[in-house]
Amino acid sequence: MSTLSATRPAASDADDTVLAIEDLKVSFGSGTKQIRAVDGVDLTLKRGETLALLGESGSGKSVTLRSVLRLHDERRTRISGRIRAVGRDVLELSQRELADFRGRQAAMIFQEPMLALDPVYTLGQQIIEAIRRHERVDRAEARDRARVLFELVQIPSASQRLDAYPHEMSGGMRQRAMIALALACRPRLLLADEPTTALDATVQIQILLLLRDLQRDFGLAMVFVTHDIGAAIEVADTIAVMYAGRIVESGPVRKVARTPAHPYTQGLLATRAAEGGLNAGLALAGGSKRTSRLPAIPGSPPDPADLPPGCAFAPRCSKAEAACRAAPPPPRMVRAGQMSRCIK
Amino acid sequence: MASVSGRFRSDHQQPRAAGPRLSVQDLVKHFPVKHGLLDRERKLVRAVDGVSFQVMNGETLGIVGESGCGKSTTARLLMHLIEPDSGAIAFDGEPVKGTAAALKAYRRQVQMVFQDSYASLNPRLTIEDAIAFAPRVHGLARNPALARAHALLDRVGLAPHRYAGRYPHELSGGQRQRVNIARALALQPSILILDEAVSALDKSVEAQVLNLLLDLKQELGLTYVFISHDLEVVRFMSDRVMVMYLGKVAEIGPTARIYAAPQHPYSKALLGSMLSMDPDRRTRSAPLTGDPPNPIDPPPGCRFHTRCRHTAPVCSAHAPDLDVVGAGHLAACHLVHAGSAHPDAPRGVEL
Repeated sequence: MSTLSATRPAASDADDTVLAIEDLKVSFGSGTKQIRAVDGVDLTLKRGETLALLGESGSGKSVTLRSVLRLHDERRTRISGRIRAVGRDVLELSQRELADFRGRQAAMIFQEPMLALDPVYTLGQQIIEAIRRHERVDRAEARDRARVLFELVQIPSASQRLDAYPHEMSGGMRQRAMIALALACRPRLLLADEPTTALDATVQIQILLLLRDLQRDFGLAMVFVTHDIGAAIEVADTIAVMYAGRIVESGPVRKVARTPAHPYTQGLLATRAAEGGLNAGLALAGGSKRTSRLPAIPGSPPDPADLPPGCAFAPRCSKAEAACRAAPPPPRMVRAGQMSRCIK
Repeated sequence: MASVSGRFRSDHQQPRAAGPRLSVQDLVKHFPVKHGLLDRERKLVRAVDGVSFQVMNGETLGIVGESGCGKSTTARLLMHLIEPDSGAIAFDGEPVKGTAAALKAYRRQVQMVFQDSYASLNPRLTIEDAIAFAPRVHGLARNPALARAHALLDRVGLAPHRYAGRYPHELSGGQRQRVNIARALALQPSILILDEAVSALDKSVEAQVLNLLLDLKQELGLTYVFISHDLEVVRFMSDRVMVMYLGKVAEIGPTARIYAAPQHPYSKALLGSMLSMDPDRRTRSAPLTGDPPNPIDPPPGCRFHTRCRHTAPVCSAHAPDLDVVGAGHLAACHLVHAGSAHPDAPRGVEL
């Protein structure tokens, strides 16, 4: 571990900010049908912090994350705003600078490791290639670093496993190998796109704990995209809740988990709490005729190609009134550090 | 195994009218795997390996376990989508036979909803035709079949005048899963097998579909077999829970007891992997290390002994029986069986 962190470059930004996103807007498509996937997102993330970006499919959470590495097809994407990551203006980088930036300054891990790993090379070859792409080290030294990385992500018999192909590993081990690959060039920003969604609960908790440990030991800044509020609470310092392309609530994990301010966050937490405990008493009483229901948010998420003019959550919100439908609610500080885009 | 299921049955000795809807006896399903060209040894995936349980009338039986534990294979065996290698399934006390006529009658009673809402529907059939298809196969004329489809669409919360003529790709995932539930109900079955039926849905939509399932169950007097990897959802939905590990039943019992006081070390570890939902009581160490082992060549004896922190010599030597540990509560572990050869087992009556 020390061999990797000893050579880490000192933080260049004076205030330790690793990621700052200002008014990010991303839309896809051309002509009449524009899909506004991200509609004005602001975020900041400091060294050593984990931010969970929580939202349902189509909320814009993954689009926001992918924008940080500029992974969208530039011909079909309109992107505006400012993304400053590890001291660079990402949207201003040339293709060459971008290639140096990706993996070296900021790296990404995905839900499906088979898409991130190349099936025809061994895991060791892939990590060695990544290291030598960015740094002048010989093959033996790179392999040695790859072995240390495998030990770090707790892959048993690390040296032998370096010679394994991705298909020879189980799902959880592939996830660990992908994390090792992402950390190969000691990035300062780790972008995680639903890394535990496809895993069993027993493996999910192992990967969450691993990410939490690595993030702390390396002082990484991590953005953790998830649809699972439970996973967000398990790893994050800060939670930002996205809905229809905007952050509707953000704040320290304790505040968002205990005193959620936005009706959408409140609904997500109420459903989860009811699943967890409400019926335990009923079942104890021996009642197989279960009558209690889950508190559920009605309706479905809006079509990003056809967003309402006001608050996008208003059609599903029990507290909505005329003012909510008139204009998008501005951000409002409800408590120290906790923001909500709700006028109620 | 035979003695175990005998014990289990005697616990529920009741007149047939109130007996189990489904009774599964020592079910076995192995899948051959092709290995290398020169490897003559025929390997088997022991997907389901001697599973016995009962589903009582009007209850929801939840099935949980890691991937590869055999929960989906069990569902497919229950539906007779695949034939068991051995073992028997009885419906209302009558053995289910594999003849075409017998299966047709059985499938009027037992229907299934799958995880992938899109793959489950024929993309070239409108929603109303998809729902009316099974009733028509079973002899209902077109117009009454369509009328039934419309009534069912209305019941699952999709206005027939808006949705009946649409195609699956025109609906959202939650709407399609409502269609799949309506279709499963079209033959007025008494049992629904729900195999990860809400797992692909967004959380807010998932809660709506779970509520729909609860309402339908109460209204129509349905019995559910609810399979999911989501331990929270299973806790909410189920009266009893069955925990599976590598093709075997590790533990089965009332939901509240399983979640509050699991007896099998695997159940403890599985439930201990649930997320804390509390930033001040986060999980500090994972209850299990590594991935679930491959169901090809499972370990001898108790299949969990390779990952269990209580392993004793007896665990690798003998597979434990599924035995009573409480009222309606069975577990397959030497540690909790009085008089077993496990050094930490409770001292009890010698068997």
